Amino acid sequence: MQEFLQQVISGIATGGIFASLALALVLIYNAMGLVNFAQGEMAMLATFVAFTLIDHGMNYWIALPVTLVIAFAGGIAIQRIVIRPVEHAPILTLVIVTLGLATLVNGLAGFIFGYVPRSFPSPFSVQTVNLLGAYVSYRDLGVIGVSAVVLLAIYLLLQRTTLGLTLRAAAHHPEASRLLGVHVSWMLALGWGLASAAGAVSGIMAAPILLLEPNMMQTIIIYAFAAAVLGGIESPLGAVVGGVIVGVTVNLAGTYLPFVGGDLQLAVALAIIVAVLVLKPNGLFGRPSVRRV
Amino acid sequence: MLQRIRYAPPRYWLVVVAIVLFIGLPTVISSFQTSEWSQAIILAIAIMGLNILVGYSGQLSLGHGAFMALGAYTSAILVHRYKMDFLVTIPIAGLITGIIGFLFGVPALRLSPLYLALATFALAVVTPSLIKRPAELTGGVQGISLPPAVPPQFAKDAFAAVTGAPMTSDQWIYYVTLACAFILFWLAWNLVRHRAGRAMRAIRDGEVAAAASGVNIAGYKTLAFGISALYAGVAGSLFGLAVGFVSPDTFPVALSIQLLVGAVIGGLASIPGPLIGGIFAYFLPIESNQWVPTQTWIPSQIAATVEKAGPAVTYGVILILIMIFSPNGIVGLVATAYTRLRRRLRGAGERESGQAPPDPQTV
Amino acid sequence: MAALLELTGVSAGYGPTAVLHGISLSVEEGEIVSVLGANGAGKTTTLRAITGGVRWSGNIRFAGRSLGSMHTEDIVRSGIAHVPEGRGILTELTVEENLKLGSHLRRDGAAVRKDYDRIFEYFPVLRERRRLSASTLSGGEQQMLALARALLMRPKLMLLDEPSLGLAPMIVRSIFEIIRTINQVDRVAVLLVEQNARLALEMSSQAYVLEVGRIAMRGESAELQGNESVRRSYLGY
Repeated sequence: MQEFLQQVISGIATGGIFASLALALVLIYNAMGLVNFAQGEMAMLATFVAFTLIDHGMNYWIALPVTLVIAFAGGIAIQRIVIRPVEHAPILTLVIVTLGLATLVNGLAGFIFGYVPRSFPSPFSVQTVNLLGAYVSYRDLGVIGVSAVVLLAIYLLLQRTTLGLTLRAAAHHPEASRLLGVHVSWMLALGWGLASAAGAVSGIMAAPILLLEPNMMQTIIIYAFAAAVLGGIESPLGAVVGGVIVGVTVNLAGTYLPFVGGDLQLAVALAIIVAVLVLKPNGLFGRPSVRRV
Repeated sequence: MLQRIRYAPPRYWLVVVAIVLFIGLPTVISSFQTSEWSQAIILAIAIMGLNILVGYSGQLSLGHGAFMALGAYTSAILVHRYKMDFLVTIPIAGLITGIIGFLFGVPALRLSPLYLALATFALAVVTPSLIKRPAELTGGVQGISLPPAVPPQFAKDAFAAVTGAPMTSDQWIYYVTLACAFILFWLAWNLVRHRAGRAMRAIRDGEVAAAASGVNIAGYKTLAFGISALYAGVAGSLFGLAVGFVSPDTFPVALSIQLLVGAVIGGLASIPGPLIGGIFAYFLPIESNQWVPTQTWIPSQIAATVEKAGPAVTYGVILILIMIFSPNGIVGLVATAYTRLRRRLRGAGERESGQAPPDPQTV
Repeated sequence: MAALLELTGVSAGYGPTAVLHGISLSVEEGEIVSVLGANGAGKTTTLRAITGGVRWSGNIRFAGRSLGSMHTEDIVRSGIAHVPEGRGILTELTVEENLKLGSHLRRDGAAVRKDYDRIFEYFPVLRERRRLSASTLSGGEQQMLALARALLMRPKLMLLDEPSLGLAPMIVRSIFEIIRTINQVDRVAVLLVEQNARLALEMSSQAYVLEVGRIAMRGESAELQGNESVRRSYLGY
């Protein structure tokens, strides 16, 4: 029982990592109907930025928000430069552009930082604390804490501020929003910035566990896909819930199912994706959409 | 017959010239270079398959590397375990992969293009792990080694007669690959021109309208999946032959992306596109590292950056630029340029002949 | 004195098809002007041209400024509220959020609060339903929401596209009453596109009749109402 609880809490922690990246995917999907295949790579690059800052002496707790701001700006820049020219193109073109972006960012990271894995500092020790009879590491608690804070902040921004309102309006109803004086184009850019920042959190939380290198996020993005699909690709809440469920499920499967070793945990994510798409394509919180003809 | 030769449009001549060039290629380049061209053609075959799925029937797959793996391993296992002759395994691998692809096509029917892309992407990432598992069958992490291909006597004789040199294994593999490519490209050309191709294009351009016109959507979409998987399976099989072994790491997700990139850059919904795409996909990473630094006309800063940054950055940038400026890929670019040139040259004469410019999609 | 809104020789269309062929009209400050005509005559296109939703050529000036090179959102920000065909309700958001999008550009907090009181007075149902999703409103309620939202924008000019469409006569009457009140109390000019010619003529001082993209007739509403042959040929009653 103790072991089970430990695995669940550990799973919630990894779930937080998945949830942040899944939220990024959902934000962009809501804005453009596009799954950004480059989200993981963008997160990885932001993590490298954080690493550089910390390496040059900046305190972790300052480097974190600074990196988020840089990631935010980066997301806006990418939307303005790369996405806007093909905004109205068919979905295939957009998918390919994001794939090109993913390749580009990955190569860029390799170019600037090299492919040698580095250890990423974490302010949370791996020591454990006794919680309800289970031994939980400070690191897992830290990841849960930071993820929760960031996700909450984004939630508050979107739901309780005027800016968040105009963002949501522009994402769901671009034409009607224009008639209300909303600068839809800039809202789209802001959406990308916000998504980029959310992704950065995911990367920074993942790096101490995975070792920082350019291909770090390639498995996380699959888990994030599973989380987003499970939660409902249009639902920010779904992304968070989905993330936690995927994190816990994958962890438990790895621990208790003998044939699921380390590398087949990823196959569990694939199985989740396939199961959801076949059984309930709209996910837990999604709404069935009407196909326009 | 002679009449038809005289009045054949220019592009038929281009095809003839290309065929001749490809057949003659190994006689003028080294054996190693020949093996490189084999790789490019193998990619082109897989890309042709992907093109049938994406370009002609509008379904998006980011997981065709998995089908290549399936074809490769099928052939490898048949050769290694059951001692079959390699050439015989090629159509078998293609068929098995095709059937599995067809079965994949059934659940794929329910997914929007985006979800299909997502699911196939996940499949591509997971493929190496899935291969490692049944280690007894697949050789696990180490993979399966294949005996080198020995050219049969008739080929050796023919080659020696033309070039005076003995045919190497690589050259023989090149011709096997080329033969498969000819057959498969010719099949694709026919498919596209006739009913199945028209049905698929109708589906791509507007499913609802196609359904209203009586097209069997489910049938053609799954057929497209099956055919495209078959091509990838053949390509995978040839790949194993060419490289001499198969292992889980030879089929990473990057391969699937490379195939899609090649398809798009070459030009979707065109027959020559995949060939150009395959050449591009294979040679770009190599050339950007080797060829660029030797070109003195490129400013040294740019050359140094391109060399250091490597193929990935160049790939990514080119891909994005092509999507922004010429979404129909290189074939589209050429077709547009050709049309413009013809209009310029013809001028007022265009009205007299009353002919519309050739539709690049029916080449 | 120059008119608040002035269209001169405006042609507009979608792709190669031209819908408007060189129309000219003007709206004075505080005036209600109606644009009448059958389906397809180009009434909606006229409004869309003003707020930049369709390509046009010619001259469109609002408060002395040419709207030629401006984006929709900037045109709206300069003082024009456009309630489009279908009302433009953001159904993913709540009633309250829709209203907030009407007032989000304003800086005069106290006046905004007063305006909220007013619209809740005109449309009590909006206050009752304010936390509900806007998609739960009926057609008439959505029209009220659209109008309330437009009012909150404190525009100088309101463009209304077929406000009566699909609504029961009683609701239409009350909505038109409120439009009249807004016009008189807040001095908001209104350009009203309507198929219900009788109602439109009762409300407006000037009227234009569009036929196949051209102005077939224009004049004082009262005159047009009184002229039986005009009514029969152009207005259908």
